[in-house]
Amino acid sequence: MHRKRLLVLFGLVAAAVLAVGLAAGGSSAKTTKKQAGYKIFVLPKLIGVNVFTENGKGAKEAAKELGDSVTYNGPTEASAAKQVPFINAAVRQGYNAIIISANDPNAVAPALKRAAQRGVKVISYDGDVAKDARTIFVSPPSAQAIGAFQVEWIGAQTGYKGEIAILSATPTAANQNTWIKFMKATLKKPKYKNLKLVKVAYGNDNPTDSAKETQSLLQAYPNLKGIISPTTVGISSAAQVLQQENKCKTVALTGLGLPDQMRKYVKQGCAKKFGLWNERDFGYLAAYVAHNVLAGKLSGKLGQTFKAGRLGNRTVVTSDGNSPVVVLGDPLVFTPQNIDKYHF
Amino acid sequence: MTALAGRLRAQHLAEAAFRLRELGIGVALMVAIAFFSIRATNFLTAGNWQDIAKDVAIVVVVAIGETMVILTRNIDLSVGSIVGLSAFVCADTLAKHPGLPLVLAALLAIAVGFGLGLVNGLLVVVARIPAIIATLATLAIYRGISFQVTNGQAISAFQLPDRFLNLASTQPLGLPTLAWFALVVALVGAAILRWAPWGRDFYAIGSNPGAARLAGIPAGRRVVTAFALCGALAGLGGFMWAARFPNVDAVAATDFELDVITAAVIGGVNVFGGSGSVLGVVLGAVLVATIQDGFTLLQLSEFWKMFFNGFAIVVAVALDALVTQRLQEALRRRRRAEVLEQRYAEAGT
Amino acid sequence: MRLVGRLLVRWETLLVIAIVGVGIWSVTLSPFFLVRANLLDLLTPYVFIGLMAFGLTFVVIAGEIDISVASTLAVSVVTFAQLFANGVNVWLAALVGLVVATALGLVNGLLVGILNLPSLAITLGTLAAYQGLAFVILSGEGVAEFPTRYTDLGGGYVWGNQLPIALIVLLVFALVLGVVLHATRFGRYLFAIGSNSEAARLSGIPVARVRVTIFMLSGLMAGIAGVVYVGSFGSARADAAQGSLLDVVTAVVLGGVNIFGGAGSLLGVLLALVLVAELRNGMQLANLGGDTQNIVIGVLLLAAIVAGNVIRGIEAHGFPRLELRRSRREVAAGQRAEATTFPNSPKGR
Repeated sequence: MHRKRLLVLFGLVAAAVLAVGLAAGGSSAKTTKKQAGYKIFVLPKLIGVNVFTENGKGAKEAAKELGDSVTYNGPTEASAAKQVPFINAAVRQGYNAIIISANDPNAVAPALKRAAQRGVKVISYDGDVAKDARTIFVSPPSAQAIGAFQVEWIGAQTGYKGEIAILSATPTAANQNTWIKFMKATLKKPKYKNLKLVKVAYGNDNPTDSAKETQSLLQAYPNLKGIISPTTVGISSAAQVLQQENKCKTVALTGLGLPDQMRKYVKQGCAKKFGLWNERDFGYLAAYVAHNVLAGKLSGKLGQTFKAGRLGNRTVVTSDGNSPVVVLGDPLVFTPQNIDKYHF
Repeated sequence: MTALAGRLRAQHLAEAAFRLRELGIGVALMVAIAFFSIRATNFLTAGNWQDIAKDVAIVVVVAIGETMVILTRNIDLSVGSIVGLSAFVCADTLAKHPGLPLVLAALLAIAVGFGLGLVNGLLVVVARIPAIIATLATLAIYRGISFQVTNGQAISAFQLPDRFLNLASTQPLGLPTLAWFALVVALVGAAILRWAPWGRDFYAIGSNPGAARLAGIPAGRRVVTAFALCGALAGLGGFMWAARFPNVDAVAATDFELDVITAAVIGGVNVFGGSGSVLGVVLGAVLVATIQDGFTLLQLSEFWKMFFNGFAIVVAVALDALVTQRLQEALRRRRRAEVLEQRYAEAGT
Repeated sequence: MRLVGRLLVRWETLLVIAIVGVGIWSVTLSPFFLVRANLLDLLTPYVFIGLMAFGLTFVVIAGEIDISVASTLAVSVVTFAQLFANGVNVWLAALVGLVVATALGLVNGLLVGILNLPSLAITLGTLAAYQGLAFVILSGEGVAEFPTRYTDLGGGYVWGNQLPIALIVLLVFALVLGVVLHATRFGRYLFAIGSNSEAARLSGIPVARVRVTIFMLSGLMAGIAGVVYVGSFGSARADAAQGSLLDVVTAVVLGGVNIFGGAGSLLGVLLALVLVAELRNGMQLANLGGDTQNIVIGVLLLAAIVAGNVIRGIEAHGFPRLELRRSRREVAAGQRAEATTFPNSPKGR
């Protein structure tokens, strides 16, 4: 009896699904013709974290100037599988371009390629995607510069000698690994020959883990002179630990950090030199790139230039692997002297 | 007379086996410490142990609340979200009113947690939603509320008063302040579970809910209390979290519930309810932190650390079950012996 | 007619009604919803979750739980990736991945089925252990270039590039597993064990062997989900499927499977998956934030259980009749009337 009921129900459901499927139109979504402007979807690695929120605000600012509209949305955790439904929905809703910072460069590629097939332009920023899945990658400074600067900042604080460690995010984060690769390459230069990299630790972008890793680094390497943390969560956790352990004078700290988060520690002498870029400008630039790609002014060819609003002129350059990149510029450097000037 | 003595002996046996369980974790802890102090440098330093104490403090506070819920044969998966939300509310309030006395800030966090825990309790008792599902749902709902409340922003350390941040760096009498919090909570928690009649009711409800009801225990009210207390302690955990990790945003304390439940499970709290102790939870949390710390000092890769963590849980649970089985068998044998004794005595008269 | 009446009160019917309702809502939100390609593609990013949920259904119906499925998927995927990256034929590598996944399930099964350890605690441990193992096997960025014939299993399309093969895979497994669960003796064993494992054992069901088998099945399904994952996403990394555990458990619970075991249907889980995918899609079309979406899913979960309780209440006691409560005077009068009318009744004594 029980089984028969289930079979009947299954049959009804199958029939209903078939009916709906056949009734549904077979047309694909036409992209909305140019009304007031382009519709751009900004898809960060995850929402709720101020780095990405600032990107979104910058993109919206640019859109207002350009007469476009920007939607900012994304998953609540850094998972590539969770980004895919957002990509699919954006395509269905007729967005003209997607600006994405990907959690996994490959996992989002199939969905992005399908989007491109339907005429949607894909621009990546921060977390790049597979090169054949996007038109242009917008990088804050170039990856090589990001790596080189951080090595220089730690060198300047440690007198260019001593043991150093890197506190990264997750071992799978592509941008982290790229920056670390360039850091290691920079360390080979003669200027830094007395700096020794003893460990790359992973804090998983999680304050508890990052704090624990910092503590462990301090315990395991009592002669540690410096820590580079190219992640805002990592550097603020490391600063906290150094301050709580009163080690700010003996262990230098640098990396990529938000001035607001780091202000307290900088004033107390931890992390005397670190940097980032203006996250709002970053989003602003990405939106300008998207707009110009949509308008046909940018196609990813090297040497193409365009005007990015209040940021001035920008050129398409290459990054490693000969793929088109637009760069925001050199990183902002924060020191105890200038940290009060920045508010983000 | 023999029956009574037998029952008392059984009680002692149960308590003994229980102490054995805590002794078991204690022994495991000693072994771990011995192992790591030989193989790893800097393991036995005061600095290292103060670090461990700080890491463990927040887990212990929240795990004691979680234990109360698990004792009643329920579970609370939403503690991570409660910690995150109360941490933000507390930090946000302190940022806007830096003159606020810390006690009031703590009470605010506790109140927020209490409210959220109360909702959990009502969902489980009144709406009769199984705890694992109800708290799975509130895990998502409370976290979503965190996102709404933070609005994509974070509280930064420089917005918080120094005396608040100092909670995480001062060490009165050599023990970090946060660890003192945990110690006080542990003592109060242990007192409640041992001496407060309503605290003891948790054990009864977990061991045999039907019998507990028949014995007149208002199970519903007790379970709601357990959840509310768990939430309150998670709120206090949020206060401590904000002091320790002052950059609080929407994703604070994500997945923290896993650490909390791990500490409880390794600490001998039985997921079927009815048995567990505060001492066990504290030892369990310390054991987990010690193993993790030891592996890090051994410069083992993080991934092996994760693996051994999981392995340790499996071993702990297996050991626990083994001990319980032995205990039950011993009790059964004793009971059989008593019954036989009684029958011979009756036959003799 | 009776059939229709009984059908209407079933859980699966509620789900169908909800699916239709959400569908209508989605249509009002966006004309793009009813496009065939959109509808067919709705489920594609969730197929791997659905496959894990099917495996988990078997475990939950038998009264256990397995929260290590996502980690099992990770190990299976990275094993496959490492073998393939080192020159092994892609199909052979995939087979080894499936074998590994089943072996991991076997470990769980032995611990729970033979040693009788609590499944929640054990799979909590293996969740961490397996995830660590995945990172040990392949840390870092993973492998990406796979032959198209292989990725088609998860990411390919037929019928004019509109019907996702992943959807076909999902439906095939739903059918096969549905038959196994509802139409074989093995399936009946699961329901029996979930309802009353002691009675099942006494009636001759090989409980231990069945338990081991369902955990192996859960592991195998996680492995198959991994194959689809690599196909859908074209990427094999150790953090694949991280964060998906919540969705898997939600699909199972929303599908009407009783978390305590003994009841549930595979069709329900499939429908629940469709509902969640459709709801998320609709919310995305409405540009609701990711956090709001989570809150909605959480509330849906709670509402579903409450609805289930109400349904069970109706099934047991019929629709509640509107009865005006009798006043105390009426009750007292009634009692007095009884006492005077039957002075010699046994009640009088």
